[in-house]
Amino acid sequence: MGKLGLFRARHLVTRTSIGAEWETIQRYQNLSLRDAIIHTLNSVNYNIPRAPRTSSWAKTLGNRNSMARQRNMQRMSKNEGAAIQTWWANHMLTTKSPFLERMTLFWHNHFPSNIEHTKQPSALLEQNYTLRRHALGNYGDLLFAISKDPAMLLYLDGYKNVKQDPNENFARELLELFTLGGTQYYSERDIKEAARAFTGWSIDDRTGKFRYRRELHDEGIKTFMGKRGNFDGDDILKILLRHPRTAETIAEKMWREFINTSRPNPHHTRRWAQIFRQSNYDIKALLMAVLSSDPFWHPSNVGGLIKSPVELTIGTMRALPYRLRTNNLAHNLSLMGQSLFAHPSVKGWEGGESWISTQSLMRRTGILTNLTRGNLRQTNDARMMAHMPNCSDEELVTWLLPVSPLSPLPTEPGRQRLVRALVLDPAYQVS
Amino acid sequence: MDRREFLKYSSLISAAGLLPEMAFAANGRSPEKIVVLVELKGGNDGFNTLVPYRDDAYKKLRPTLHLKESKVLKLGQGDMGLHPHLKDLMNIWNQGDMAWVQGIGYPQSVLSHFRSMDIWNSGSNANQVIEDGWLTHVLPSFKQGLHGISVSKDGSSLGPLHSPRLNSVSMQSPRMFVNQSRTINDITPVSSTPALAHLTQTQHQLYEVGQQLRAKMTRSLRQQKRTRSKGVLGHSLESVAQMIIAGIDSPVYKVTQGGFDMHSGQIGRHNNVLYQVNHGLSRFAHTMKQNGLWDKIVVVTYSEFGRRIAENRGGGTDHGTASAQFVMGGGIRGGLYGQHPNLERLDVNGNVAHTTDFRQVYSTLAQRIWRQHQHPWKAHRPIPFV
Repeated sequence: MGKLGLFRARHLVTRTSIGAEWETIQRYQNLSLRDAIIHTLNSVNYNIPRAPRTSSWAKTLGNRNSMARQRNMQRMSKNEGAAIQTWWANHMLTTKSPFLERMTLFWHNHFPSNIEHTKQPSALLEQNYTLRRHALGNYGDLLFAISKDPAMLLYLDGYKNVKQDPNENFARELLELFTLGGTQYYSERDIKEAARAFTGWSIDDRTGKFRYRRELHDEGIKTFMGKRGNFDGDDILKILLRHPRTAETIAEKMWREFINTSRPNPHHTRRWAQIFRQSNYDIKALLMAVLSSDPFWHPSNVGGLIKSPVELTIGTMRALPYRLRTNNLAHNLSLMGQSLFAHPSVKGWEGGESWISTQSLMRRTGILTNLTRGNLRQTNDARMMAHMPNCSDEELVTWLLPVSPLSPLPTEPGRQRLVRALVLDPAYQVS
Repeated sequence: MDRREFLKYSSLISAAGLLPEMAFAANGRSPEKIVVLVELKGGNDGFNTLVPYRDDAYKKLRPTLHLKESKVLKLGQGDMGLHPHLKDLMNIWNQGDMAWVQGIGYPQSVLSHFRSMDIWNSGSNANQVIEDGWLTHVLPSFKQGLHGISVSKDGSSLGPLHSPRLNSVSMQSPRMFVNQSRTINDITPVSSTPALAHLTQTQHQLYEVGQQLRAKMTRSLRQQKRTRSKGVLGHSLESVAQMIIAGIDSPVYKVTQGGFDMHSGQIGRHNNVLYQVNHGLSRFAHTMKQNGLWDKIVVVTYSEFGRRIAENRGGGTDHGTASAQFVMGGGIRGGLYGQHPNLERLDVNGNVAHTTDFRQVYSTLAQRIWRQHQHPWKAHRPIPFV
């Protein structure tokens, strides 16, 4: 099998890493396509830096139901929320396993929970650990874990879902977004019945962990997706995992993450879904199929994705020796529409073309201008150059842009000027 | 695949010929009518907004949430009244400038926020997926140049204005737009991938609209007095007012008030969001009147669905179907339109049947505001509020 070469190596690295690091591209260009993908999937380090301190569930429980202490709750969740946002943004910036972060972010967007809504940053931190533990594992395990995850139980009112008053919120999003992926695949009745099956799934007052409260569970017969029985939540999840749409939903999201911004091509996504189901929801098997597929490598899809704010900013800082003057990375991400742990809705970030509006484009251009401006000072020149790859100008263009530049390049010589022009070129916004 | 092979596919040909004409900055005049769309996100409870205060079923199904007859602001028609927090909007009703459309919804209602909002945004049927906003069928033939401006905190969703055929922009405020667009260079749109087409078209629009705003607003933004409006909606509407006064040639503005999804603890939360609506819109109307622009204005509210008539045990309401929305402005024929839904005839989910199709509002605006008679909602009879 032939070697990847520079152009294909950069394509694989931009789409699986956060930013295209020159060293990784160098390593990959001499590998075969298959070896490069296997390396991407398997060379993963799960270590994480120490997380900030957050108030436990037991501590906030008393405040939660008191009107008088709402202000305290607000302040606590705002401060601790900002701390965990910064924690994750910094980890994405420094990690040696960017692919794991990218996939954790992918699942974070599939199973969103929200700091503001839950007011429990400690639970969101725990959820993040769960997401990264399963990010390259098994989707079935991940689905079971998230359905019992305290942040999710809080976010979608699952902990309020009791026999006497079933709450449909979690059941609805489980069917519409997490598994079947469309309102046409189930009825309102299925939602109501699923909600009954999940009654009693709750949070333990002392530990803040999942707890099943038998006395609040509805033991009656439920009819769900054409099946009848005294189902509990586990049964509902098992039925959903047997439904072909569940794998297709994930395959379609993979299309939007790795292929292009257009509607997923069912010819491909159905095949990936089949592979996913046959592997019993092995996420790496699905990723292997996606990353070695024809559409992933098709030239018409190069430049077919829009970089997320994380890719755009953290990616730039990982690949190039640019730094923000003050560490307000997480804040900058939220200005561009990607506030970590704070999606606009349970549907997550829309992604794709909606990353770019006139408003966000000003922000995106603004932060790239700020990042590259500092280094135009003569004093930084030498330091910056020391961190730049030793390659030709032509290779530099191929490295930083997926397609030819859209604006004219500077006519004056100078590596630094060229890099700045490439980062500020509109083509830098896509991958 | 190498770069040379790739270049065969990426025809970096200018797509300018395919794009809507943007050359307007110089002679764009303020349109005859200006439509301000107010999105009430989360599904507004129509029954506690336009209140059937004498309906026994209403009182029975909402033992704790129903609004008492003594508190409701009576319209003097059909035993309907407004939520007490809409008291400043009552003045507009009393002047005959406010029309309420009752029982508004669509057949086979979808109770998902996302799907239902997509249906409202695109004007599609319940089982149809259309990505473009409904204004794409009306505005390109109505005028060239700028078609719409969406003002919101996060500057994200264009909703009804979302379409590659529309020149529509989103912003937090004209002040920030003018400041931040200064560094943006113009670019010739390309079409090599849909992502690049969207990106370059957005950048081109950003440049063009930035130019117009700078030309018409630099002075007014400099002398602007301290803001008097409160809340996100109030600030957004203040921005809209500034742009209308400055003579920006946009025929449509869109603003958003969120927080209407109230599965529990509804009373306080609903009071709060309706207070925002009342405050923001009454100030906006006042400003327009002061500037002699009220006759141009058509404010239209919308929401993805209403809420269930029966309250739940958490003191809230779940996703429903039909709701009530209003239209107001100097040229609007005030009154109650459409039938109030029958609260005793409910479907299996406990929801009412709609009596007015939301696309009747779209066809009314298309035909009577923009004088466009070619549109997809011909089957939906216009409502005589214009």
